[in-house]
Amino acid sequence: MRKIGITTTVPSEIIFAAGAVPLDLNNIFITDPSPNHYVEIAELAGYPRNLCGWIKGIYGVAVENKIHEIVAATQGDCSNTHALMETLHLKGVQIIPFAFPYDRDRDMLMLQLNKFMNYMGVGWLEVDAWREKLQRIRRLVWELDRLTWESNQVTGFENHLWQVSCSDFNGDPEAFYHELKGFLKEVKMRKPLKEQVRLGFMGVPPIFTDLYQYIEKIGARVVFNEIQRQFTMPFEVRELVDQYLLYTYPYHAFARLEDLQIEIKKRQLDGIIHYTQSFCFRQIEDLIYREKINVPILTLEGDRPGLLDARSRMRIDAFVEMLR
Amino acid sequence: MLFCGIDLGSRNVKVAIMEHNKIIKTAAFDTINFYRNHAVKRNQQLYIDFSSLDIPNCDRVVSTGYGKLTVKLAGADAIAEIKAHYLGAVHQCGLDDFTLLDLGGQDSKIIKIAGGKMVDFVTNDKCAASSGRYLENMAGVLGINLEQLSKYYENPVELSSTCAVFGESELIGKIVEGYSMEELAAGVNYTIFKRIQPLLHKIGYNPLVFVGGVAKNTALTEILKKELGASVIIPLLPQYNGAIGCCVYAFNIQQSH
Ligand code: SF4
Repeated sequence: MRKIGITTTVPSEIIFAAGAVPLDLNNIFITDPSPNHYVEIAELAGYPRNLCGWIKGIYGVAVENKIHEIVAATQGDCSNTHALMETLHLKGVQIIPFAFPYDRDRDMLMLQLNKFMNYMGVGWLEVDAWREKLQRIRRLVWELDRLTWESNQVTGFENHLWQVSCSDFNGDPEAFYHELKGFLKEVKMRKPLKEQVRLGFMGVPPIFTDLYQYIEKIGARVVFNEIQRQFTMPFEVRELVDQYLLYTYPYHAFARLEDLQIEIKKRQLDGIIHYTQSFCFRQIEDLIYREKINVPILTLEGDRPGLLDARSRMRIDAFVEMLR
Repeated sequence: MLFCGIDLGSRNVKVAIMEHNKIIKTAAFDTINFYRNHAVKRNQQLYIDFSSLDIPNCDRVVSTGYGKLTVKLAGADAIAEIKAHYLGAVHQCGLDDFTLLDLGGQDSKIIKIAGGKMVDFVTNDKCAASSGRYLENMAGVLGINLEQLSKYYENPVELSSTCAVFGESELIGKIVEGYSMEELAAGVNYTIFKRIQPLLHKIGYNPLVFVGGVAKNTALTEILKKELGASVIIPLLPQYNGAIGCCVYAFNIQQSH
């Protein structure tokens, strides 16, 4: 089966319609038993030490797993993506550029979708049919999200995992759907979770592997995963282009802010953890969120994959303590 | 009733003893010495030989600090450092609304307290550039002791490096250029201020309560007053603030029983 590597959420409907499968390289990286070895592959190849761990991990995954085609979000994701793609191109990888227009221009996005479809050799008929199929799954994931914050039956990590997996539906939407259905049936029988402190998590998915578990251990729970929820495209719209226009992640901070404000209220969050990656440009945006969001924010920074370090644990402890 | 607070710091272990809401004794030990000579680890717990430290037997022991995360003190409760510092400062200065600045051996914390409650905090990143350790190193380069270093704040030389290690070579460069020791020392003290200034701006700073080992640096206090136009309060026992906070916590628990 033709596998298309992706480094962030891009219109997977188009990839599936072409009879190919998307493969989220982030997920392969972070779920590996020894993710750091991917980082080392990149560093040995000459990637700087002071560069985001996700980028290095993705490079290592692409090289080691011999991925031949990768969609490059050349706009709207990460400026490091350019150099990442150039270095992968050097290794013989076929690069498929895809740009989310900075100003959220509908025509520009339409053009990008059409170009992507041309490259994959599919038409709107197949793409729309796949949109319907995936929408059915997305709705189930929205329900899982609701069970997280409203009926309190889903943990922060489960919420994170299912939502983040919507970038590629684990490469098998059918299996994903059935597994999710089973999971939902099971959680609906659970007693509501009773953590005192309700947290939101914003920013790119954490490189720490035990963050959610640690937070629950000290009596708090994440009931909102901002970007992961965006990956599920929680909007009922009629056209694919509108779906990817409403999606906040690839556009500016203010689009995210609007979404955040609504969810903070709705989910009654006590505080927010803003996670950013060491050496990531998104650290700058922290100042916008600190100024505009009126619940307490803890800014957390991660570098390499692994367990939380002592310093971050201390800061989370103090934050939860403060909100109690 | 006697309460004992222990702050397991990276450079020193600080101990405070409280009797009925009053601190009656404090003591500090070198961290390495403390673990080597006065404590034993058994079954994942750390047992402290209080008698060898000349510390009386206490009814309740509470600990905080980096050590709290890696070792569990036998028979003690452990609380987060930020909480310990906040309790200690409220106890020491009796204020309800202030910003707490804690500069210790390796890290810095800024905590906002409003209405007697902790409402926000920031800590430094993984870098020792505004810490006591940095000041020690820089004093070493200048060939003076910490006490001398902490006297100067006028005509500071401009030091731009924010890294503790590269800061040293920059300082050596300035020595070569012929600046006086006073100007160099003032420059070093100013670098501390420049590191924490953006953090203070984030949180607000009037009045500012200044604790931790670095609070003994009087030049820095002068710089803070001058640059921020804020009132700067240094409680009686700045370096024991965390340990005192632990005592306060122990006292509060006792009261609530
Ligand atoms: S964390 Fe930041 S630097 Fe790293 S890949 Fe994501 S956007 Fe880029």
